[in-house]
Amino acid sequence: MLARVLLALSLVPALALALCQPDGQDAYKVRLSIKTALGANAYEWNESEQFLFRATLAFAMRKYTGQETFNVSSVIVCDETPRVSFWFVVTNPNDTATLIPKNAVEEAIRLSRNRINSAFLLSDKTLQFLGIPPTLAPPSQPSLPVWLIVFGVVMGIVTTGILALIISGFIQRKKKDIEDEDEEEKQEGIMENGISCETLEGKEGVNNGAYSHDEDRLTQL
Amino acid sequence: MVEDSRPSWENPMQFVLACVSYAVGLGNVWRFPYLCQMHGGGGFLIPYLIMLVVEGLPLFYLELAIGQHMRQGSIGAWSAINPYMGGVGIASVVVSIFLTIYYNVINAWAFWYLFHSFQGTLPWAECPLSSNLTTYVPECEKSSSTDYFWYRETLNISSSIEDHGGIQMGQALCLVLSWMVVYLCVLRGTEATGKLSDLADPKAWIDAATQILFSLGLGCGSLIAFASYNHHNNNFEKQAIVVSLINSATSIFASLVTFSIYGFKATFNYESCLDRTQLLLINTFDLTEDSIKPDNLDDWISHLNASFPDKFATISSQIEGCDLESELDTAVEGTGLAFIVYSEAIKNMGLSQLWSVLYFSMLLMLGIGSMLGNVAAIITPLRDSAFLTRHFRKETLIGMMCLFCCLVGLSFTTRSGNYWFTIFNDYAATFSLLFIVLIEIITICYVYGLKKFEKDIELMIGHRPHWYWKITWSVVSPVLIIGLFIFYTADYIMGGTPTYQAWDSNLGKTVTKEYPPYAQAVIGLLLVTSMICVPLVALITFIKKKKEQAKESKIITTAT
Repeated sequence: MLARVLLALSLVPALALALCQPDGQDAYKVRLSIKTALGANAYEWNESEQFLFRATLAFAMRKYTGQETFNVSSVIVCDETPRVSFWFVVTNPNDTATLIPKNAVEEAIRLSRNRINSAFLLSDKTLQFLGIPPTLAPPSQPSLPVWLIVFGVVMGIVTTGILALIISGFIQRKKKDIEDEDEEEKQEGIMENGISCETLEGKEGVNNGAYSHDEDRLTQL
Repeated sequence: MVEDSRPSWENPMQFVLACVSYAVGLGNVWRFPYLCQMHGGGGFLIPYLIMLVVEGLPLFYLELAIGQHMRQGSIGAWSAINPYMGGVGIASVVVSIFLTIYYNVINAWAFWYLFHSFQGTLPWAECPLSSNLTTYVPECEKSSSTDYFWYRETLNISSSIEDHGGIQMGQALCLVLSWMVVYLCVLRGTEATGKLSDLADPKAWIDAATQILFSLGLGCGSLIAFASYNHHNNNFEKQAIVVSLINSATSIFASLVTFSIYGFKATFNYESCLDRTQLLLINTFDLTEDSIKPDNLDDWISHLNASFPDKFATISSQIEGCDLESELDTAVEGTGLAFIVYSEAIKNMGLSQLWSVLYFSMLLMLGIGSMLGNVAAIITPLRDSAFLTRHFRKETLIGMMCLFCCLVGLSFTTRSGNYWFTIFNDYAATFSLLFIVLIEIITICYVYGLKKFEKDIELMIGHRPHWYWKITWSVVSPVLIIGLFIFYTADYIMGGTPTYQAWDSNLGKTVTKEYPPYAQAVIGLLLVTSMICVPLVALITFIKKKKEQAKESKIITTAT
């Protein structure tokens, strides 16, 4: 009996290792860049940190599925490297021999990504789940592109300027024409027989060209 | 109705400012720093300054003298100097038309960047996200956010000149706005200045000589146009020297600024490259994070290649050799520099929106100033023509010209527009201007007569020009320009098919491609159209004179 229990117990880690395979169908690779993220404040990656990771992942699964049966033991890790990268799988709490499918794990991680990152003081870029791309914050797009508004303003000013110049030039020309006409009209005044009445009122009188032939009296030789 | 009294500048300072505004333009910001860098930095200043004194100043002086004496635009002035030489003026106008058509596109780009500066984060500071919001757009990741903004969001450039694409609405709108601004400014008065600088020959002295020539805007007729509005006794001698010196000082100052930005960008790119390579290696081979440092990167690469050849082979295509020298050598010139490099620098400054607005406003002022000079070079001779002034009002004439240039300029807002723009930038006003300036100087010295010219100048400013000017006009400058001409032609012939830099969106960088035959035909056309005016007009005048002589001799024979 004891032997069987011992055998079973020794098989469990072996089984666990068999379940967690790099490039496995339901396995994910995780890569942490702690030194890049924290620089001088970087912490050492050790067993306890690994424990925290598994616990956080179990939390994510619990949150996603709503089942409170997930435990640290449900998350199996393998192939750790000095990079600080490793593979992990999540086993089904009801049946430890089967794995939770990849999609479910992905959804769970996406849901709690922020919490997982915060637990390790990292970000989407420095705590990478290869195969689960981070959802980057989309840049805020205003309803109307700002540049069009500025363009509209400047265009409006320039058009007004052009119209103002053209119209003012036009008006000036009209004024000039009217002034010229006015001067001519002033000279005409009231006319009778081609002679302005004003000049008739003067004392000098007007020389009537029809009666002055002085120059022609003497014919030219 | 020809104007009985020519409009004139309100005071000499206005004329000087107009000339400075014309001469100092985008070429100072772009072209000169690039040339300095190509020819070994500070060393380029020596040939540049020598050429300024020996070639630039004398020619500048010459053009101002012609304009002020003849009191007409380039066509009228040259026809008055010698009827056979009227073609020089026409050639200048043709070159100015080409220039005007493509130059305003730069202002359109400046407007585009300016309008996009009014945002929380500058749009060229970050890469946009791909459609599934998980990564950045690959084209942007491979190049940089500023490159991406320029090539994709501003130009939406196609992969080669054959690939036409449609007109880009944003660019077209900005171009229309630029033309309206130019129209507004030209309506207001007689000011305008512009500047262009183009080179072809890689040799430092050739580049210096040509840079000076074009940097001062000689040969386009703009200086003649400006000077034609001067009072007869304006002391243009001093002004010529002042303007040329200001222009060169601006070029040198701009290159100081530009070099610092080059250095910054090169260092930044180099360090990013190193980071990327390092990350790639530690991720693939699962090494500890800080095991690979920039100094031992190469050792690691060879070690890993030797120890794990299969695994290394999978990533070997992604290993880009990082080299600071090559980063520094890829001097971006022309439009790339002003927009990509400077926007790169601005995005890393604090208060980047403010600097961005200031910088692009400055670019706009330089560009519009240059545009007004080019437009003046075209409008002045047109309005000297009695026929046109009689039938069209000033506003209509300028408006029609602006509309025509705007419509043709729209072709530069297509997806392949930037490649056509580069053709115009490189060929429309380089060779032709050399030719025009050469003909100008030979005409004045040997056809019109140097003695006669001296007397004209004495009448205007009260003293004869110093012997230095006379030597440079009659001997030094023509020899220099002929030398430039020969080198230019030889380089063009021996250089093989001309090539251009096309943007490859998959690689995220520019690749060299050859021009297709029809593009080469356009290049040839650009060169020939302006230069052929000179012999053509001479020929036509010759034929006319022969006909008149024949008529006169007929009348005499029939009368007797």
